[in-house]
Amino acid sequence: MAQYHLEMKVNGNSVALDIDPGLRLLDVLRDCLHLTGTKEGCSEGECGACSVILDGELVDSCLVFAPQASGREVITIEGVARNGELDYLQQAFLDAGAVQCGYCTPGMILAAKVLLDRNPHPTRQEISKAISGNICRCTGYAKMVQGVELAAASKEAKEGAVRA
Amino acid sequence: MPECSVYYQPESISEAVNFLASSERTLKPLAGGTDIVPAMRKGEMNIDGLVDLSKIPDIRSIKIEDNEIKLGSLCTFAQIERSPLIQTKASLLAQAAGAVGSPQIRSLGTIGGNIANASPAADTVTAFIALDAKARLESTNGTRSVLVSELLCGVGKTNISSNEIIAEISFKIPSENNQSGFIKLGRRKALAIARMNLAMIITLHDGLIDFARVSLGAVGPNPSRNTNLEEFLIGKKPSDSLIDSFAQFAGEEVSRMLGSRASAAYKCEAVKGIVRDLSSRLFLGSEQVVI
Ligand code: FES
Ligand code: FES
Repeated sequence: MAQYHLEMKVNGNSVALDIDPGLRLLDVLRDCLHLTGTKEGCSEGECGACSVILDGELVDSCLVFAPQASGREVITIEGVARNGELDYLQQAFLDAGAVQCGYCTPGMILAAKVLLDRNPHPTRQEISKAISGNICRCTGYAKMVQGVELAAASKEAKEGAVRA
Repeated sequence: MPECSVYYQPESISEAVNFLASSERTLKPLAGGTDIVPAMRKGEMNIDGLVDLSKIPDIRSIKIEDNEIKLGSLCTFAQIERSPLIQTKASLLAQAAGAVGSPQIRSLGTIGGNIANASPAADTVTAFIALDAKARLESTNGTRSVLVSELLCGVGKTNISSNEIIAEISFKIPSENNQSGFIKLGRRKALAIARMNLAMIITLHDGLIDFARVSLGAVGPNPSRNTNLEEFLIGKKPSDSLIDSFAQFAGEEVSRMLGSRASAAYKCEAVKGIVRDLSSRLFLGSEQVVI
């Protein structure tokens, strides 16, 4: 089996490891780096449970061979909270009751994060579009859209407070 | 997990084609990976290894040269969808790229991969066909430039030989006063039978249509232009009644193309809906969209 020397950045840290190049980014994150917040659902790009942020773009990590991520920057759900404190998006999802079984939550939060980083005041339609690649079997999505709205508002309030 | 015995990551096109030419193994170029990664895992790919094009820097650009738009084959759907240049000069292509899969798939999947896969319903391919786009292929034998429509030769089949890679896709910029758009039915793989897409470009002269391109996907093995539908529009004045008769005629065309295939009954009705919606948008500027 061929070996591949993979170097990339994960949640701000440089990592280097030798892997089978046929592994997916999802496998490397979960099995080699033990970042099990990224979930595997359908394995074919339909459910979004495996979503991560790759160089600022939301991707399904089940559709990426790990070598394709070499030299690039990956953010997983583990990289969202800072110093043990929940990110405003995570807090908003809890406050809105947008988490039930939680299987889709990491992917949803990352999809919402990419949206809010680009567009701090999204409309409901823009929110729905941004999370359209993430399937949830539990919530019916309405609470998630509310969660993202709440996050946008709380981020703005916080930034306003900092400015003032 | 099937083994991947060769995984090569060239940093230039010439490195890539030299490797393809010199290897005795069965290799496949890897672009975004959205189709190849799951297919490899399921053991559906009969290959020894991959030539990963993701580290080649100069096949990701969007540029204008000599009145043509030139797109690197590794441009992602997200890149095309968001490009102000594509949005203004070739709106149908921006719309087609924005209609692919999910946000996650749009940030990975590439236009070169969309062509190479030759899926009957490939969204950007339907738009490229309407634009009469050409693909530039590179190999150790040199460069050749081929119409995208001539590269495709069946479901999952192309005339791209195993030592060639698609480097660029280009098309003439449609004339300034064109109206163009894209529409599709059926988003998820699970709904494959309901998939169908349509791309159109028209221009008007003295209130009459003097140029029309109509391309349909998932009505044949590959997306293709339908010249009967194009001719139908020439010389006509955009109006509600033209939309009605055009939709009706599209239904007849699709029924002729599909013959007795199982999906025919559904598709010749469904095409009327997408033709009606897209023509209303282009003829009357109505923004009613049905997905
Ligand atoms: S596991 Fe990747 S999209 Fe479902
Ligand atoms: S909370 Fe259970 S799948 Fe979304």
